[in-house]
Amino acid sequence: MLVDFELIRRAQKNDSAAFNEIVLAYRKRILGTINRLITRPEDVEDVAQEVFVRLYFSLDQLRTAEVFEPWLHRLTVNAAYDYLRKQRRRHEYRMSDLSEQQVILADAVAGGKADQDVQQQKKIRESVDSLLGAVSEADRILLMLKEVEGLSLKELEKVYKVNENALKVRLFRARQRVLKAFGAAGKGAAEKKES
Amino acid sequence: MNSMRGSDEEKLDALFRAYARACPAPEPSANFMPNLWQRIESRQSFTFSFHRMANAFVTAAVALSIGLGVYISILGSSLNSPSQTYLEALAEANPLDTPDIVAPVSLEMPDQAR
Repeated sequence: MLVDFELIRRAQKNDSAAFNEIVLAYRKRILGTINRLITRPEDVEDVAQEVFVRLYFSLDQLRTAEVFEPWLHRLTVNAAYDYLRKQRRRHEYRMSDLSEQQVILADAVAGGKADQDVQQQKKIRESVDSLLGAVSEADRILLMLKEVEGLSLKELEKVYKVNENALKVRLFRARQRVLKAFGAAGKGAAEKKES
Repeated sequence: MNSMRGSDEEKLDALFRAYARACPAPEPSANFMPNLWQRIESRQSFTFSFHRMANAFVTAAVALSIGLGVYISILGSSLNSPSQTYLEALAEANPLDTPDIVAPVSLEMPDQAR
C-alpha cells in the first residue's frame, strides 16, 4: 500500500486534501499501467484522470480501506477497457493511424536522429501491441495485468471478482492465442529472411 | 514440436518483460492535478444540477398525484350519491300518497233524485 488506511477513510469522508494525497501517491503507478494497456501515449493522462474521477465518485462505495488497491486496479481496468472499446483500433500501424508520439518517433528514425534504444523500444511496443491484437480487449488487459504488470492470480481474483480457476482458463486460452500469433509471426520473419 | 513450443513460451515471456521495460510510467504533466479537479468539479456540477432537476420532478409528480387523488376522491363521493335519473325525479315529484290518477267524478243528477 502506498498510503495508509486512515488517509483513505478521510478521503471517503470528502476530505479533498486526503484525496489529493492519494492521487499524488498512485498517479505514477496508474499512468504506467495505462501506458502499457493502451496504445496511444498521448491519451494516457486523459484515461488516468478518468480513473481518479471515477475513484472520487465511488469512494463511498468502498466497504473497507483494505481493498483499496484491487478497487483502484478495477477502476483502471474498466477505464482502459472503455477507452479501448471506443478506439477499436488494432495492430495496423499505417502512418495515418500513428499517434502523435509515434509520428515524432518515426520521423526521428527516418532522419537517423533516434538512438538504437529508442528504436528497439518502439519495435518491442509495436510487436507486443500487434501480438495482442490476436485477443479481445478484455483478454488483452487481463494478459497485460498478469504478464507485464506482474499481478498474481490472487490479486486478479480480487480485481475481477471471479474465481481463480475461471481466471486460469481464460488466461491460458488468451496466452495460447498470443503464442499462436507469435509462432506465425516468427515463421513469417524466418521465411522473409530466407527469401 | 514441444521444445519449439517451449522456446516460444520463453521468448514470449522475455518479450513481455522487455515490453514492461520499454513502457516505463510517464511523468505526469504539470496540469495533471488542475485538470483532474476541473473534471471532478464539472462532473459534480452536472450531477448536482441533475439531482436538482430530479428533485423538482419528483416534487411536481408528488404534488400532481396528491391533486389527482383529491380530485378523484371528490368525484368519487359525488358518484356515490348518484344524480337522479328522469324517472326517479318524476317519482319524487309525484309520491304515491298523492295519486296522480283522480277517480272519475260521479255526477249525481238532482232531477233523478226527485
